[in-house]
Amino acid sequence: MPERIPEQRQSFASRFLKPQYVMVYATVGIFILIYIYGAVRFGSIGFTTLRTFINMFKDNAYYGISAVGMTLVLITGGIDLSVASVACLTGMIVAYGTTVLGFHPAVCMLVALIVGVGLGVLQGAAIHYLNVPPFITTLAGNFLARGVCSLISRESISVSHPMIDALAGWKWYFKKYVDGEWVKIKPIAFINVNLFVFIVMIIIGTIILQKTKFGRNIYAIGGNEQSAKLMGLPVAKTKIMVYGFNGLCSVIAGFAYLLEVKSGWNLALNGGELEAITCAVIGGTLLTGGVGYMVGTLFGVLLKSVIPALITFNGNLLSWWGKIATGGLLALFIVIQRIVVTTSERNKSKKKEAT
Amino acid sequence: MKKKSFNLSGVMQSKITWAVVAELLILLVCFIIRPDFFSIKYQPATGMLYGSLIDILNRSAEITIIAMGMTLVIALGGTDLSVGSLVALSGALALKFLRWDVLVYNTPGDYTVKPFILVILVPLAVCTLMGMFNGFMISRIGMQPIIATLILMVCGRGIAQIVTNGKQFTTLYSPFRVIGQGSLFFLPMPIIITAVVVIGVSLFVRKTAFGTMVESVGINPSASRLSGIDSKKIIMIVFALTAFLSAISGLITASRVMSNDSNNFGINFEMDAILAVVIGGTNMSGGKFSLAGTVIGSIIIRTIVTFVYYFGIVSEATMAFKALIIIVVIVLQSEPVRKKMSKFGKKKVTGGVQHA
Repeated sequence: MPERIPEQRQSFASRFLKPQYVMVYATVGIFILIYIYGAVRFGSIGFTTLRTFINMFKDNAYYGISAVGMTLVLITGGIDLSVASVACLTGMIVAYGTTVLGFHPAVCMLVALIVGVGLGVLQGAAIHYLNVPPFITTLAGNFLARGVCSLISRESISVSHPMIDALAGWKWYFKKYVDGEWVKIKPIAFINVNLFVFIVMIIIGTIILQKTKFGRNIYAIGGNEQSAKLMGLPVAKTKIMVYGFNGLCSVIAGFAYLLEVKSGWNLALNGGELEAITCAVIGGTLLTGGVGYMVGTLFGVLLKSVIPALITFNGNLLSWWGKIATGGLLALFIVIQRIVVTTSERNKSKKKEAT
Repeated sequence: MKKKSFNLSGVMQSKITWAVVAELLILLVCFIIRPDFFSIKYQPATGMLYGSLIDILNRSAEITIIAMGMTLVIALGGTDLSVGSLVALSGALALKFLRWDVLVYNTPGDYTVKPFILVILVPLAVCTLMGMFNGFMISRIGMQPIIATLILMVCGRGIAQIVTNGKQFTTLYSPFRVIGQGSLFFLPMPIIITAVVVIGVSLFVRKTAFGTMVESVGINPSASRLSGIDSKKIIMIVFALTAFLSAISGLITASRVMSNDSNNFGINFEMDAILAVVIGGTNMSGGKFSLAGTVIGSIIIRTIVTFVYYFGIVSEATMAFKALIIIVVIVLQSEPVRKKMSKFGKKKVTGGVQHA
């Protein structure tokens, strides 16, 4: 019989108290705390309704979709600054193609998909083969996509096409069973396409990270790229695929944004890349790579939207407190991350000394 | 004494050479399309020289000043994303302290209500403190520079809006106008300020051991700590300096329009400054840096923007041009390409020796 590895003899509790999970717990915990605060303070004016909760997801759905891809990129130890511009470019391509050139939105969508994923793959290839820092490569991608947006048009182009209208108007209402028939709950809460896509993307991201070989390769590269290479893992392929997947997420996010505003504008989503990164970092993804979970990102998005919700409910505070609160949260989480990382490193070195 | 011989391959490999060549090429294209691009005229009304070249230098001032600090930050192996927000904060603070001017505008000449020195000193001091916060997070708590400065980038504009209570002030106070629109020695004031900053930083970095220490920390932090360099102090000084320079840049920006705008001041300044440093030949992974290269990098960026404006191309398309430059620079700077280039250079050199 093979000897049992010590790690397998973990108790049920210790399996859930791994240091890399602490960040996710902290995010969830702080979200619950803030939510309870909101419920106590503003419960009487509807903070606890399902509608408010669903709106928290819905308002930031496009940042959430982008954050899914961003989480993967950050786990590999990279960064992608081009996501907002690619999303904006998607909007421009669909808007210009549909309104000005008269193509079917599905065709424009396909073109946008090819452009977005193609740019992602190119960036991944440049990062891996030319050994350029991801920061600079994707900064170039950011400028390029934004520049092309401006070359397409400087004016905002509105979109009106039956397909887009149908997608933007699709709603699935939450209903309850009262006296033999289904009635919409009050206040009305519904799921729209953006929210639906966001949830699907989170599920896809979770499956990729937890259940596939690709996901394990991502973690391995983020942990230590050199050893991943020596282990014979397909580093180049994985890295290029990660950036390609992130391009895909950006395109979907851009389409979600288009459904929300129904127009393409060359300066739309300016600075959105940092919003997506912030969501992922608040959700416990380490920028050094190797650690990150989709659940964390989901709660990162929620945590980022609960603050504006609180500010709206308060009514007296001005919107820029949202920025400061987000910055403060970011600082808090990074300090927690730092403490977690240093303590786990200390434990590791202690174990080494013991053996 | 060793005789300094002209080394062609050394010049060819120097990154500054390439940056200068690129700048000259862009200027040449400008000259071919519009021969009057280089004309410089004297305007008696403002007491300043006037022309495209002067304009390029004048308008590149903000980025050049920030990029001086950014060069040191990148030499340490980090990035400072907060500079754009600090520009906005500096402008907001300056206008906040000039606000009395709006109130007493009806009684011109009554300019002694608040000392003008406060308008300059408070933004500089507050931003330097913010920079020290960045430095503290990085050196003491041990964060990555990108994330540590991301915090201030996110909430810096919020702080700026709180300072002015979300309002946009305008001022007509003439001493403040001098910073961005005045002139000295027939040149616009921003050029003079930039020259002072560039010379000051260069002297500080190269005439003391500070520059060498920065490079050493950037190449290997633990080795430099073991050799007795206080890397935490170095990081602290560099980030404080960058924030201080951002504040100067913010004062110039605010003085150009005599107003503050917390949402739009300093947008993308961090990206432009990083770009200037990278074009100037400083490697993003830290280590050796070149302040002269950075100045040229900043001028190149501004030349392209001026080029785009001058020839009536859509102004937002400058982004696409910037992207093209970065792509060329990163391909030239990347390891595989550089290895091939250096092989090519060596062959040439050995050939020359045989010939001699």
